[in-house]
Amino acid sequence: MNQPFSIAPPPLPICDPTTAIAISAKGLHKQYGTLEAVRGIDFAIEQGELFGLIGPDGAGKTTTFHILGGVMEATAGEVIVLGRSPQDARSVTGYLTQQFSLYLDLSINENLQYVAGLRQVPDEVFQQRRNQYLRLMDLDRFGDRLAGQLSGGMKQKLSLCCALIAQPQVLLLDEPTTGVDPVSRREFWDVLAELSADGMTIVVATPYLDEAERCHRVALMYDGQIQQIGTPAELRVSLGLHRLEVRTSQLAATERVLAQASETDGEIADVQVFGDRLDVLVANLQRGEAQLRFLLRQHQLSAPEIELAEPTLENVFVTRLRQQGAAPQFFPFPRSRGGNQTLQSSTSKTQNSVAISAQHLSRVFGNFQAVNKVDIDVHYGEIFGLLGANGAGKTTTIKMLCGLLEASSGKVFLGGETGNLRSADLRRRIGYMSQKFTLYDDLTIVQNLEFYSGVYGVPSKLRREKIDWVLATCGLVGQETMLTGQLPGGWKQRVAFGASVLHEPDILFLDEPTSGVDPVARRQFWKLINDFARNGTAILVTTHYLEEAEQCNRMSFMVAGEIAAEGSPSELKAAQPGQLFEVVVDRPQFASNLLKHHFDPWRISIFADRLHVVLDHPDQEVAGLRSLLTSHHLILHSLRPIPFSLEDAFIGIVKRAQENR
Amino acid sequence: MRRFLNTPFFALVLKEIRQILRNKQLLFLLIIPPIVQLLLYGSALNPDVQNLKLGVLDYANVYESRELVAALTENGIFAAQTPPVSEAELSDRVETGKLAVGVVIPPEFPRRLAAGNAEIQILIDAVNANTAGIANSYLSQIVLQYNRRLKTTQTALPVQAQVLFLYNPGLTSSWFFIPGVMGLVLTLIGTITSAIAVVKEKDVGTLEQLLMTPAASWEILLAKVVPLFFLLMGDVLLALTLGRVVFRVPFQGNFLLLMVLSACYLFVTISIGALLGTIYQQQQQVLLTAFFINMPMVETSGAIAPVESMPPFFQTLSLLNPMRHYIAIVRGILLKGVGLEALWMHALALVVFAIVLVTISTRQFRNQLS
Repeated sequence: MNQPFSIAPPPLPICDPTTAIAISAKGLHKQYGTLEAVRGIDFAIEQGELFGLIGPDGAGKTTTFHILGGVMEATAGEVIVLGRSPQDARSVTGYLTQQFSLYLDLSINENLQYVAGLRQVPDEVFQQRRNQYLRLMDLDRFGDRLAGQLSGGMKQKLSLCCALIAQPQVLLLDEPTTGVDPVSRREFWDVLAELSADGMTIVVATPYLDEAERCHRVALMYDGQIQQIGTPAELRVSLGLHRLEVRTSQLAATERVLAQASETDGEIADVQVFGDRLDVLVANLQRGEAQLRFLLRQHQLSAPEIELAEPTLENVFVTRLRQQGAAPQFFPFPRSRGGNQTLQSSTSKTQNSVAISAQHLSRVFGNFQAVNKVDIDVHYGEIFGLLGANGAGKTTTIKMLCGLLEASSGKVFLGGETGNLRSADLRRRIGYMSQKFTLYDDLTIVQNLEFYSGVYGVPSKLRREKIDWVLATCGLVGQETMLTGQLPGGWKQRVAFGASVLHEPDILFLDEPTSGVDPVARRQFWKLINDFARNGTAILVTTHYLEEAEQCNRMSFMVAGEIAAEGSPSELKAAQPGQLFEVVVDRPQFASNLLKHHFDPWRISIFADRLHVVLDHPDQEVAGLRSLLTSHHLILHSLRPIPFSLEDAFIGIVKRAQENR
Repeated sequence: MRRFLNTPFFALVLKEIRQILRNKQLLFLLIIPPIVQLLLYGSALNPDVQNLKLGVLDYANVYESRELVAALTENGIFAAQTPPVSEAELSDRVETGKLAVGVVIPPEFPRRLAAGNAEIQILIDAVNANTAGIANSYLSQIVLQYNRRLKTTQTALPVQAQVLFLYNPGLTSSWFFIPGVMGLVLTLIGTITSAIAVVKEKDVGTLEQLLMTPAASWEILLAKVVPLFFLLMGDVLLALTLGRVVFRVPFQGNFLLLMVLSACYLFVTISIGALLGTIYQQQQQVLLTAFFINMPMVETSGAIAPVESMPPFFQTLSLLNPMRHYIAIVRGILLKGVGLEALWMHALALVVFAIVLVTISTRQFRNQLS
């Protein structure tokens, strides 16, 4: 990472005199005791802009939101929201905090009524807005349902409705889509795009960088300061690097060679391993590719297949933070059981033998078929992704696979056992990280780790070393006596992961392990997961974040309790019918509404200033698309085919499966 | 020892102890309510009848009638109030609760006394049936003695009762209450704390994670119960000390026997709580149900009111109440100084209850998976 490139100060937003500045901050500081959370930030957000705030945990994003929302005073600096102080602007500000702010024992309508009452919205206006927003969020059929019975995505949409009911001019959203599935997430962002097109100013923080791509402008925050501001395209260009997707049959060996080279070599800036490919960042396209091929030849590795791709915002984020020295370090796990020994200790375990297997697994709750005839095979040394929308049956499947829940029918095979999945011996070989609640909030970090190493029978000689490894990996050395309940969500997840692997499991279940974890930490997370897989651990993981699902070797997509598609990331993307197009037009929101009228709405989504459109029969449909746009006096700047992302594939599979029902 | 320190069970116990030490609320619950309840029941709840407000309407107002009034008030059970002037006022004051007892001595009292058939009228406010009953028997006794004094010439009565009060010679009612309240406190606190300990893990969501560890379900349950058990034994000692120091309750019997049987009873209360904890999902539900179960247990146990004064049906039913047996044991050991030879029935009942409840709650805890 010694490739020098200029970190030019971000170009200040050129303020078009015709567009008003909705929010401006100058020299903003916030101090808590000795801790400086925000250290002098400046920005100006135009009216109607969708502005993203990204940064690692503890960068000062939430503090900034508190100040903009008028619930906290800045220590120094000036903030103006719509021409007044944030406190005075509270009546025109909608603020969605990280915690759910709903009353779970009230219905959707009652929740909205309550907020409208607080905000003194007149009754007729309330009815009209309620109908309008519930329809926009696709919640209008569920008015009487209790908020507690909604899925995570629906809850977040309802929270947004509550924030919108007083018709704010400024909307502040602090990580609104954590724990929300990709389909709901895309719908949520479609709503945001529409609101912003109607003139609402929206500031949103998100740990998901594919979401940040949908913002007009993005500010990258780190250590209380803004490192860079610009449109997603500007940020990508400013990186000055190119991304090569490298596919080879010798993934692990290739990665080792290239990773070593990236430490010393000027050409190769970064290497990241995915489920069936490597992403390599190079400064110069030709020289980089040549160097790469040369290195592989030198190490007698097979020639790779190389594809050029655009760098992602995640590349920008990770690279910038590395330059700041902020990327968490990777420490190798202190293994006490060598690879060979492991193979001997459990006779059934060889690299290609099956660790987890399910045949025709079903589960019925009452008359609800939660899981229907699911077949899964996970081998030792493999990372297997189980993906699906909220309520698709992933967690139920995992619970059946690890013996926490009995199957209604079907067979489970786990680590050589078929009948008794609850034996202590078997469980000693399994690691499990449940969704959210793994650690005891009322114990300190080190007490939690001591507990898990003790209960899994980690020999006392090795405990200290392993606990130290978790603390070092999480960057929590010196803070181990802090109560776990006080840790921010992302950190807690990292400690929880550490706690679940202390005993070096052969089989690891991870249920949404990276929910709420920032991109750099997430990358470290996956490095660890990969490390375990290479040492022979079978890993089954669920996630809502499809960019990270690319790290899985194989995966299954679940829809409504059934497996709708299966394969490696590349296979799944390749199996998608049709083609994805990027459409750049002058009025994207109008174009989106227009196209949604003529095509299935899920085929169209807005990404910042452009549209993504899925066409099943491009040869016949492109012409129609062009003429439709031009006939409505839209100026078509460009229309080009782009590769499907895994998220596009996922949404296509889910929507097609729903249509076929 | 080293080997034990490496077992999952030790890790579980250590974790529970650390959680308890950080749980100020639980420590408060274990210390303050027992003290308050013992002090309250021991001193404030006193069924002795004293200073009943007496109004005498003495129409006769002669030496004999004044003697009678003096006899009524001389031992402190009745306190004379300003005499009413009419029967209407008397009944009015009884009605409004200003007088508990009204006595009317009619004008012909001296004349009929001479004839040997005098009558006086007594009105008792019987809203509190217990007090009224006691007042009645005191009044009857006082009048009887008064009669005897009048008939000095009469020879001694054929039968003279010589009453000896055993075990509680001073008739101190707190001696009766302290063992009862001990049972009450252990029942309330034992069930609630263990129910919370079991349900909490479910409530916050960590139980699933715990069930995936190699620890067996009995280890998980036992680890939760052991620290509580010791803390509750501490409560037993606390109650005994308070009884001894503040109320001077004697300790006639065998200390070790009492501790062993108390331990037995703690298994009963802890199992009841654990059972509740396995049935419900939230702390709130468990707390409400615990109160619902504890109230009838306390009421039919003889902790406050004697079992003997209950209707026969409930007396039989109360045999199924482990708390009744425990209280009988504590009273027997503390006040009577008897041992197993007298208490074996109660002890046996407690042991059976403990075994049955521990078995059920362990099985229930294991089965709550699916």
